Amino acid sequence: MLGGFSVGKTSLVKRYVESIFSESYLTTVGVKIDKKVEQLPDRVVSLVLWDLAGEDDIGSLRMSYLRGSAGYVLVADGTRRSTLEVALALRERVEADYGAMPFVLLLNKSDLKEQWAINDAELEGFRQRGWWVRASSARTGEGVEDAFKDLAVRVTR
Amino acid sequence: MEGLPASVAKRLQAVTYSERAVAYLQVDKNLALVSAGGDLQNYGLATVGVGKPVLDEVFFLQGLLPLLESPYYVPAVELAGGRVADLHLHSEGEWIWVMLLDVTTERDAARRVQQNAYKMTLLQEQEALLNRRLEAANAALLVSQRELQASREALFRAHEKLQRELTEAASYVRSLLPAPMVDPFAADWRFVPSAALGGDAFGYHWIDAEHFAMYLLDVCGHGVGSCLLSIAVLHLLQAGALRDVDFRDPSQLLAALNDTYQMKSNDDLYFTLWYGVYQPVSRRLDYGCAGHPPAVLVNPDAGAVQLLKAKGLPIGMMPGVRYPSETLTVPRQRYLYLLSDGAFEVEHADGTMMTFDEFLAMIVGPASSDSSDLDRLYQTLIANRGSGALEDDFSIVRFAL
Repeated sequence: MLGGFSVGKTSLVKRYVESIFSESYLTTVGVKIDKKVEQLPDRVVSLVLWDLAGEDDIGSLRMSYLRGSAGYVLVADGTRRSTLEVALALRERVEADYGAMPFVLLLNKSDLKEQWAINDAELEGFRQRGWWVRASSARTGEGVEDAFKDLAVRVTR
Repeated sequence: MEGLPASVAKRLQAVTYSERAVAYLQVDKNLALVSAGGDLQNYGLATVGVGKPVLDEVFFLQGLLPLLESPYYVPAVELAGGRVADLHLHSEGEWIWVMLLDVTTERDAARRVQQNAYKMTLLQEQEALLNRRLEAANAALLVSQRELQASREALFRAHEKLQRELTEAASYVRSLLPAPMVDPFAADWRFVPSAALGGDAFGYHWIDAEHFAMYLLDVCGHGVGSCLLSIAVLHLLQAGALRDVDFRDPSQLLAALNDTYQMKSNDDLYFTLWYGVYQPVSRRLDYGCAGHPPAVLVNPDAGAVQLLKAKGLPIGMMPGVRYPSETLTVPRQRYLYLLSDGAFEVEHADGTMMTFDEFLAMIVGPASSDSSDLDRLYQTLIANRGSGALEDDFSIVRFAL
């Protein structure tokens, strides 16, 4: 799980793994590791999720956390435009160090759509580059399950 | 421990072991767990099975083993159960060693600091966002204010232009009104158009040497449209411009006007009219009325009034209407008032409407030929209303017969 601070990475994992959402914000320091067994149509996949501390300073990301990863979830807060820029910079850093690997870009907090700061045309531009982009909400669960399942399919393809 | 006295090294080892809850895993090159020890329970690893694949027993090592770089360090890993460990991995010979050192306390302390810093940053971001929205709203407000101001100015100019035009129209109507006369009998009038300009007009003139026409009309509505129609009718009456119509016969004239000015072809405008023909020698008065307030014949000495009514719909409402005329021999020393509804449909200061009887009381009584009587009547109405102007045109014509 990669993205700036307070974009909802931990909440997305909690929603996916435990199907719950908490309004309280508790920042992640280091990494939190969870596991979820995902039943796909043709196989069972064990997803080990490394929820990394959000860093707006891209240089401070510990790349050692990403060693051995098969894919990643890139998370931005749709209400904070700056977090999309952080996410895009993180993707470049990951690709520079580990090469291209499957990822999904989640624009989180879609339940706050009236405060949205990222326009649809921009997201369409990402999709045309072949990215898998989706709006999500850890609060309502919108798009969460699909995002992880899709990533599970792609990392085991 | 090289360079440290044996005692210090020993103590350091003891402190680290007790305070960091040190635990270890020994893994072979086939990634099978060879041995495990230390405070495994602290990390939820008390039941790991020796001899089994380590990645099945310790899922968070997936991706880290086999070890590609030695030593390898993964700081602050939160494990199931909430404990936080620094992971130190290194290989030696055919073994891979995984050491876990508890850093939960340090992580919690760091989290408190980090949390406050992030909250502060979020608040600053929100403040900046609110400021941008506020600035945008202010800018939009400023634009709206300017547009509103421009609209107001344009509206004010248009209103001023309209007022000028209405004033000019009122002046034109006034120029068409007859001059007061004194011989062979006195005729006087007051005309105070409303701010919105109504459709009042009146006149009197000799039809021939014996017949004297007197009339007052009121076109419905206000504004230039009503005014134009009143002017047209006034011209027609003054010029006697209706073919084959005897203007000495009120009944015939009103019917002809009704045929000429049907509201369907006059922008839905209709008008009321009181029209009389007076013969001074015989003192005979023939009159007709098209939905207009009655003329008032006043006996000033007796303080009595006679309302000169006649049946008839307003001109233009319906074709083919008949207007029966009435005849009266006017006694001597009488005042005849023609008036529009604006002269008596006046609201008191308390919001109630003045009655027609109240109005009659104002014009009955000893009167003189002094023209200031009509001014006093107007001033009384204004005083009753409690404001500086009447809502409708004020038109009144008085004949001393």
